[in-house]
Amino acid sequence: MERIKNWVTENPDLSFAILLAITVYTFFAITEPLFFTHRTGYAIMERFAVLGLVGLALTLCIIAGEIDLSIGSNAALAAVITVRFTDDWGAINALLVAVAISTSIGAIQGYFIAYLRIRAIVLTVGTLMLLRGVALFAAEEKTVMLTDFRIPDFISTKMLGYFSPASLLVIGMFIVVGLFMTFTRYGREIYAIGGARKEALASGISLQRPMIIVFAISGLCAGLGGAIIGLRSGTAQALGLQYLLLAGTVAAFIGGVSILGGKGGVIGAAIGTLTVNFLNTGLVFNVTPAFMVQLYLGILLLVVIMFQTGSRVFEERQRRSQLLDDVDRRRSILSDKIAALRRPSG
Amino acid sequence: MADQPLLRLTDISRHYGAIQALRGANFEIGRGEVMGLVGENGAGKSTMVKIIGGFDTGFSGEYFYDGEVRHFHSPTAAEQVGIAIAQQELSLIPTMSVAENIFLAGDGVPQIASRKTLAKMAKPFLEEVGLGHIDPLRSTTRLSVGEQHLVEVARLIAHNPQVLILDEPTAALGETDSIRILDMVSRLKESGKSVIYVSHRMDEIFKICDRITVLRDGESQAPRAAADMDVNSLVEMMLGFELGDMYPARTPVPRDEPVLKVRELWPDGIIEPISFDVYPGEILGLAGQLGSGTSEILGAMAGSTKTRGGKLHYKGEAFLPTRPKDTIRRGIAYCSEDRKHDGLFLGRPIMENLSAPSLETISSNGFLSGAKELSSTTENAVKFTVDPKRLPQEAGVLSGGNQQKVALGKWLSISPDVILVNEPTRGVDVGARAEIYQILRDLADQGAAIVVASTDIQEITNLPDRIVSFYRGVQIGELQLDEMTSANILEQITDPFHEAGIAVSEKAS
Amino acid sequence: MTDTALNTRDNLSLIQRIRRDYSPLVIVMVGIFLLVFVAGAVFTDDFLTWFNVKTIIRDAALVGIMAIGLTFVTLSGNFFLLSMKEIAALSIICFATLMSADWNQWGPVEGDPTTWSLTMTFLVAFVATMVIATVAGALQGALIGLGGNPIVVTLGAAGLFFGIGSWWSDNLVVSYRRPHGAEWLGTGSFIGDIPNITVAFIIIAVVAELTLRHTTFGRQVYLVGANRAAGRATGHENFGMAIKCCIIASVCAAFVAVAFSGQVSSAHVNYFSSEFGSSGDMTIMVIAIVMVGGNSIMGGYGSTLRTSLGAIFISSIDNMMVLNGFNSGARVLAVGLMIVFSIIVFALVRRGSRAVE
Repeated sequence: MERIKNWVTENPDLSFAILLAITVYTFFAITEPLFFTHRTGYAIMERFAVLGLVGLALTLCIIAGEIDLSIGSNAALAAVITVRFTDDWGAINALLVAVAISTSIGAIQGYFIAYLRIRAIVLTVGTLMLLRGVALFAAEEKTVMLTDFRIPDFISTKMLGYFSPASLLVIGMFIVVGLFMTFTRYGREIYAIGGARKEALASGISLQRPMIIVFAISGLCAGLGGAIIGLRSGTAQALGLQYLLLAGTVAAFIGGVSILGGKGGVIGAAIGTLTVNFLNTGLVFNVTPAFMVQLYLGILLLVVIMFQTGSRVFEERQRRSQLLDDVDRRRSILSDKIAALRRPSG
Repeated sequence: MADQPLLRLTDISRHYGAIQALRGANFEIGRGEVMGLVGENGAGKSTMVKIIGGFDTGFSGEYFYDGEVRHFHSPTAAEQVGIAIAQQELSLIPTMSVAENIFLAGDGVPQIASRKTLAKMAKPFLEEVGLGHIDPLRSTTRLSVGEQHLVEVARLIAHNPQVLILDEPTAALGETDSIRILDMVSRLKESGKSVIYVSHRMDEIFKICDRITVLRDGESQAPRAAADMDVNSLVEMMLGFELGDMYPARTPVPRDEPVLKVRELWPDGIIEPISFDVYPGEILGLAGQLGSGTSEILGAMAGSTKTRGGKLHYKGEAFLPTRPKDTIRRGIAYCSEDRKHDGLFLGRPIMENLSAPSLETISSNGFLSGAKELSSTTENAVKFTVDPKRLPQEAGVLSGGNQQKVALGKWLSISPDVILVNEPTRGVDVGARAEIYQILRDLADQGAAIVVASTDIQEITNLPDRIVSFYRGVQIGELQLDEMTSANILEQITDPFHEAGIAVSEKAS
Repeated sequence: MTDTALNTRDNLSLIQRIRRDYSPLVIVMVGIFLLVFVAGAVFTDDFLTWFNVKTIIRDAALVGIMAIGLTFVTLSGNFFLLSMKEIAALSIICFATLMSADWNQWGPVEGDPTTWSLTMTFLVAFVATMVIATVAGALQGALIGLGGNPIVVTLGAAGLFFGIGSWWSDNLVVSYRRPHGAEWLGTGSFIGDIPNITVAFIIIAVVAELTLRHTTFGRQVYLVGANRAAGRATGHENFGMAIKCCIIASVCAAFVAVAFSGQVSSAHVNYFSSEFGSSGDMTIMVIAIVMVGGNSIMGGYGSTLRTSLGAIFISSIDNMMVLNGFNSGARVLAVGLMIVFSIIVFALVRRGSRAVE
């Protein structure tokens, strides 16, 4: 019990995320009998496969103190490439090519952000448009479709009860990225440039490497997510998938990242995504129209932001009271000397 | 002491534009030695430190390390041979743990390691700096400022440097934390490392330094053993010739009714509430070293620093400003020490900079009057000897001196009765300094009350009519014009409790 | 006085002034843009006709008005609003719903409504839409002013507004029969054959530019955007500024929504998301215009004049490509390339000037 208490005080954001996830899950499990079933579990994991990737990508970006607005376009591009060329090259090759392209796009973006010393939002809002153009080009402005539906079937095959090849792949990805962020020097560098950019540069970290890594992973996740969506549904649209940005951002923020950067982690991303998925799935059960999900997500994001702004004010206050305590301590130490100083002058 | 010093710089010169920061200065340090580097502000200490650490490569002169000629092109290159600097400003990542901070960048950082492994690796370095009791997995934000400075040093030690430069490590610290830093320096010395200790604090210098190098106006004095000196002789060496003609002449100011009474004002970070009066027509100096609290006091008077309480009595009204608007409205102007941060709109034209605080006076019903703006800004530009032809240019293209003039000059537009200026001539060349002094004097003669805070001992001795002195957040005393000698002031702002005196006598016995 | 006024003017020719004020990179970029533009204009048939010029400006008008609103936010150093199209979506639904409502028919129940009742219906719907947009803008501005990150706040607000709009309209097309005022605004023309929306664009552009240049508010926008800390130190706080600028942007978006609704006599939340223009996303198009116009994304530098020119420039390139038979992929690609190109050039210029410091 004591250990749990310690853990909670050490990780307030993660605890909050877990609590929120459980609350949302319990709410729907009680109100919707069907929610607590095997099939729903599978459906949630299927959604997790895509949204989890985007949540993971945005979590990394926000940890590094930036945000990747082009993630939806990048995913759409990958989806278009995968679907369009599956017939010619085979699904695996098309997917690999699409993911490779998305990853390189991400890496190039990261390089430019570091080299030009600009905020990622500035560049990625440009690439958002550019990549849409590329995707429209690749799709020849049509909705591209698969002719062979064995691949979609394979991707959604049920395995180990709740999983499919797609969701297993994504879970593997989470584990690898999680290990990378926690145990390697490069992962720590990403935390450092997000937590305090100026200080990190002053202590000798170069901006380039972590930025390229973050945006390459972001591109990889976007590409993989897009490809999975494309293959699973059998169709892809160049202008689609823009909703991923909002859902992914909400997932990342619920998972405990801070807009100031340097905080959060892969576990948080997973929990945040699951919460969004519970909500999504539950609302579908409640026969809520799809557009209402956006409304709830928007409100959720605003609430989380207000919560974070509030907690920043609170921390500021705490820091100030710490400073004042320190001053008081120094005052009591110095009081004799000050008194001695005042005496002769009166 | 070894015959050959570990690090030796000879005949070093460096100038930034019109400012000659160093002229033919020498510096050396032996193995296992603690060398104090002292001098007034602007004497060239920080330039010297930057050159040693490889941050500044544009100097002329010889640089020997371990008997070899070197010319480092980057801080990393200097770090590789074993020269490390702990900057005044902390560069710890607040969101990360102590251990992660220690192994963040540079050589010897493991590619793959768990937090526990890092903690284990960090332990010996933490012990070396006297933080053995601290859990390496603790977040750095939960440490005191002094402990954070020690962690910063631990990070440097992890790269096994031979020469360690500590640039004013105790400026922002309380007594207990300062003592920890001093203990650490002696431990480092015992383990054979050389330490360059830059400080303003006489007591510390005498407690820990073997030898002391004094810089004065960019020139160095030969290093002398600390045991051969006392506070007075050191102060004498620090003080250069006074450029008396740079400063406008002072005549006694009649003091009848104060325009501004500061009562029990208690800014954050200041030990005790402070009170003093400001009279019209005088320049009041707030004297104090870095960390003495003078910046906080001016900031609190202007409403930009948080306070615990207190009141300003001004024009029959008692108030406590909570934001700059409160004081601007009442005619109190505040020019901070960092003009790039909050003094200037670098990307905007000079004219807009000059009129920024007084948009109401140059507009009617919300519409700006171009003619009014032009005439009022031209007038102020002429007063501050800024060429009116340059008014449409961006403020960023101006030299440091002219930038400072614009940062100050913008406040004339609200016709202030009280002008608060922090570090009026930081980063300003000699010519512009004299002009700024003259303008401040003229403004005082016209009836404005001017409060200047400065860490520059010459400036604080020669510019104000009266001084209130501060030391580590404590108001020490007040000096009238006839008592204002450099020695008096230095005593009050560096060693008011006579701690160094005790230290010196202990050494002697 | 007149002497000093004369003295402050430089005795430089235009070219010398350009070379002093702008870096070579920017000059080259603008040169390339102009070259492409002129070449296209010369080699495209039917491009330089009065009819086509009118089309270009009319096409630029809708996005241009929104971009002018957004320019205030950008100049004040609050980046941009990702919720522009959602504000427009909410506004268009609000407007169309009120236009189609029965209770608004002042006048006889039977027979045709009078002109007066139609005008009243339009006015009520218009004012209500503007009020909603003001509230939406103030909400976002307050959150941004309190320290929320503009991108994340407006991303959330976008979801919220879109959701409200969809819920209000049941995600259906809202159509109304007698647009009257809206139709006049959207498709009518009272000066010769110049569409009213073009006139509105020009008036808004001029008013915005004059506001920025000649009012205290405009000056504050620049000052706060150029250096927030210095702005605070000289008595100009960002909190009120963020709210005011967000309201301006929102009201501009709502105005565009009303005008667009007038053109089609109906409304749907997706009008600004998928079916609008070639880009498929109005928010990004608007941001693109602000950026291509050469406004500094970090704030404090730029003008709405640049934005207006940016809108006309993008619109003409688009028009040129349409006339030459390019389809939407190539056109979106061209706009995307222009933004990325200008971002990189401006960033390089800033990098260069920072190295000098």
